[in-house]
Amino acid sequence: MLWVLRRIGISIALAWLVATIVFMTLHMVPGDPAELLLSTGGTMPDPAAVAELRERLGLERPLLEQYGAFLSGLTRGDLGVSLIDEYPVLEEIALRLPRTLELILAGTLLSVVVALPAGTYAALHRGGAFDRIASGLAALLLAVPVFVVGTLLILVLAQMLRIMPAGGYVALADDPLRHLTLLAMPALAIAKGLSAVLFRMTRASVLDSLSRDYVRTARAKGLTARRVLVHHVVRNALTPVLTVLGLHMGTLLGGTVLVEYVFNWPGLSTPLLRAVEARDYPMVVGIVLTISGLFLLINLIMDLLYAALDPRIRAA
Amino acid sequence: MKRLLIPGTLVALILLAALAAPLLGLPDPVRQDIAHRLAGPMEGSPLGRDEFGRDVFSRLIWGARTSLGVAFASALIAGVIGTAFGLIGGWFRGLGELLTVRSMDVILCFPPVLLALLVVTLMGPGAGTLILVLSVLYLPGFARVTYAEVLSARSHDYVEAVRALGAPAPRILLRTVLPNVAGPVLVQLSLAVASAVVLESGLSFLGLGVVPPAPSWGLMIRGARATMEQAPMLLFWPCAVLTLTILAMNLLCDALRDAVDPRTGGTRSRLRARDRLLPGLLPAAKPAPDTVLAVRGLTVEIDTPRGPIRPVQDVSFDVRAGETLAIVGESGSGKSVTTTALMGLLPSVARIAAGEAWLGGTELLRLPEEGMRRLRGGAMSMVFQDPMSSLNPVHRTGDQVAEAILAHRPISRAEAWRQAEALFRRVGIADPERRMRAFPHEMSGGMKQRVMIAMALANRPKLLICDEPTTALDVTVQAQILDLLAELRRDTGTAIIFITHSLGVVAEIADRVAVMYAGQIVEQGSVAEVFQAPLHPYTRALLAAVPEGDTPPAGIPGIVPPPHAFPEGCRFAPRCAHARPKCSAGALPLEEAGPGRDVRCARWQELACRSEEVPA
Repeated sequence: MLWVLRRIGISIALAWLVATIVFMTLHMVPGDPAELLLSTGGTMPDPAAVAELRERLGLERPLLEQYGAFLSGLTRGDLGVSLIDEYPVLEEIALRLPRTLELILAGTLLSVVVALPAGTYAALHRGGAFDRIASGLAALLLAVPVFVVGTLLILVLAQMLRIMPAGGYVALADDPLRHLTLLAMPALAIAKGLSAVLFRMTRASVLDSLSRDYVRTARAKGLTARRVLVHHVVRNALTPVLTVLGLHMGTLLGGTVLVEYVFNWPGLSTPLLRAVEARDYPMVVGIVLTISGLFLLINLIMDLLYAALDPRIRAA
Repeated sequence: MKRLLIPGTLVALILLAALAAPLLGLPDPVRQDIAHRLAGPMEGSPLGRDEFGRDVFSRLIWGARTSLGVAFASALIAGVIGTAFGLIGGWFRGLGELLTVRSMDVILCFPPVLLALLVVTLMGPGAGTLILVLSVLYLPGFARVTYAEVLSARSHDYVEAVRALGAPAPRILLRTVLPNVAGPVLVQLSLAVASAVVLESGLSFLGLGVVPPAPSWGLMIRGARATMEQAPMLLFWPCAVLTLTILAMNLLCDALRDAVDPRTGGTRSRLRARDRLLPGLLPAAKPAPDTVLAVRGLTVEIDTPRGPIRPVQDVSFDVRAGETLAIVGESGSGKSVTTTALMGLLPSVARIAAGEAWLGGTELLRLPEEGMRRLRGGAMSMVFQDPMSSLNPVHRTGDQVAEAILAHRPISRAEAWRQAEALFRRVGIADPERRMRAFPHEMSGGMKQRVMIAMALANRPKLLICDEPTTALDVTVQAQILDLLAELRRDTGTAIIFITHSLGVVAEIADRVAVMYAGQIVEQGSVAEVFQAPLHPYTRALLAAVPEGDTPPAGIPGIVPPPHAFPEGCRFAPRCAHARPKCSAGALPLEEAGPGRDVRCARWQELACRSEEVPA
């Protein structure tokens, strides 16, 4: 139990660090941030506009006071308002975060269902035909950027074969079938990289586990091959896979931004990209903090799962 | 090295094309020509024109220049600064470490794309912003790699010595640490470049990276998306080039990593599994009625890149009910391979080349896997050398013992748990109820070995194989485990094969002993006879190597030859003081030297006579 509390404490400390870094980024860039945000293509912005923006961002106040206000805002869930339309950032996020989460969950589920059995099978038949083909495929999938896969999926399935819609979103309540159809391609695009990573990790981890003494012991006990595989090989191989999966979520979350853009999925990335283009600083900060927080949360869950699977961690 | 060749060449070609772009006489990649909008392949434009009538081939090559330029610039900046940070952090530790290495880890808390977008918001898109963001993103990787390398170098004696002599720190760092760091940093560099190409193209694709009209693969894909119905090839080319580049770089990274760090495997040649051989050629043995196990001519073969080796050759022995047979020999003599083969636990690269082994009426070496499984942990069971690694760390010890019972008998889990508890008590574990719920890491080494023994006894085996069960334990614990085994044998009448390299243990526990050398049994007989009057020079040398009273122990010159270099004839001849040319003339048989007494030596009779005249 103590271990769990300590791990949660670390996550909170990391969240604070992340928030601090995000806050500092605005002040670390050389020059006046307000001027920087308003300048486009080397033209000097209107001094009146700069002064107004400074006022709105509270840049006139002492740094420490700004920092305090920022942190206390965060704890109250106040992320400020958009510079463009004064819309509260938190409301925008609350509307769109569930859609992004759904996409991530679907992609992860798809990857796990495919990659864990495939990785295990490839490890058990190392050097065989399946292993070679699947390993080659994984290397290829890792090399194709996620937006290339997404674009090509649209080109082939939607434009040429016309069997899938090119993208978009319909709420689940309105039309469940349509909703799932629209979810399929972006989820597939997200799964492409993750399943390749998971496949490689599972394969390596099972191979490692197979050579362990306790697997020999399990066989020496006369357990059936199936029981040795499930209870001793795969059970022990899962823990390292979980950890690396958690670490890989960062790339996955970044990839989600691209996938949502390619397939017009109205998750967090639409307002994020719009805000980056319009230099809508509070909106960008809000969304970056949300996704980074999500990343920390996923890693926390992974670590707790790890502890549930491996008693040695709990003792440490 | 061979694996480096193909991806290395490919990456070099791509780099060359990017570097030589201005020299190739290509059309201007940004000059628009609306008349030839979306034109197919035409003269001067082998891949056609894009949505603004710009030459696609030229944009691909110039795009490589942009993408790789950004990637290399950021990887190099991150490499130089990160390595410096790692050096400083590793050398000064304390505050220096906190500022240069630990602080970098915060960057890892952000999804990379998002950190990039945050900076782009502030600074606006462009190649400069990209290089800045990407170099920050890759800093921690370099800092960590270098830091780890410095820490390990610091502990080397010569670095300590140079430091003690007062050499200035920077010079030591550069002279001793940098050469060691070069490999891992190179790997890190290739990883960073590959990953930077992905990120750069991704951000450019979103319109937040390289600013148009500059050519970039990500921008080309972005542009081609709008016209993909009319001109799908426009989309295909940059996708293909980008994927090929990343694939080549990834493969190069893998190969580099394997070349730098041999532990990760890749360079290890893979051995091919082969099926077990045909039934043996030897006639069936006729074991004595009270013989539990009879092994005849057991030979194990392993295919290696240097050709097949035989780590165990022509091994024969009997174990009778209630008897303990010790197999002694140095490391590499084939003791463990012999017992592993009997248990049917050989790795897939090894196979039984010849021989048979009878456990009661069952021939083990050609038994199908299911039959073998029923015997393992049932009629014959095994205790391994290292109890620390032989128990599964994630299961409770009680469950692991109960599992062994359930694998062989159709009883309820509760009943199996009760029997496991009795076994725990049987092997002398105090407070079994509590210990059964413990995980292996919560137990001492001796306790874990008791659990292993409980597991092996779970189904009242006729034969118990103990593979150096005390080697990994403390001396006092060793004695306890030996006592336990002796007691169990008295009470249950189980036959035991006891593998050890310690003659002291043999004298204590065994009735009979088989001495193995280089994959063969060189002498066997009752412990009393063999110890009093050893017939083989190797046995004699082993006995002389045991420290006893005032006589200083005599070592045996040389080492056990590896299986691919076993000598012709007598395998001990190169190390034997009594060797004659005839010893190496041809393969030696195991000769019967008396009832239950065998020896494999060309001169055993001469030597036996001599030692009677001149007592050693």
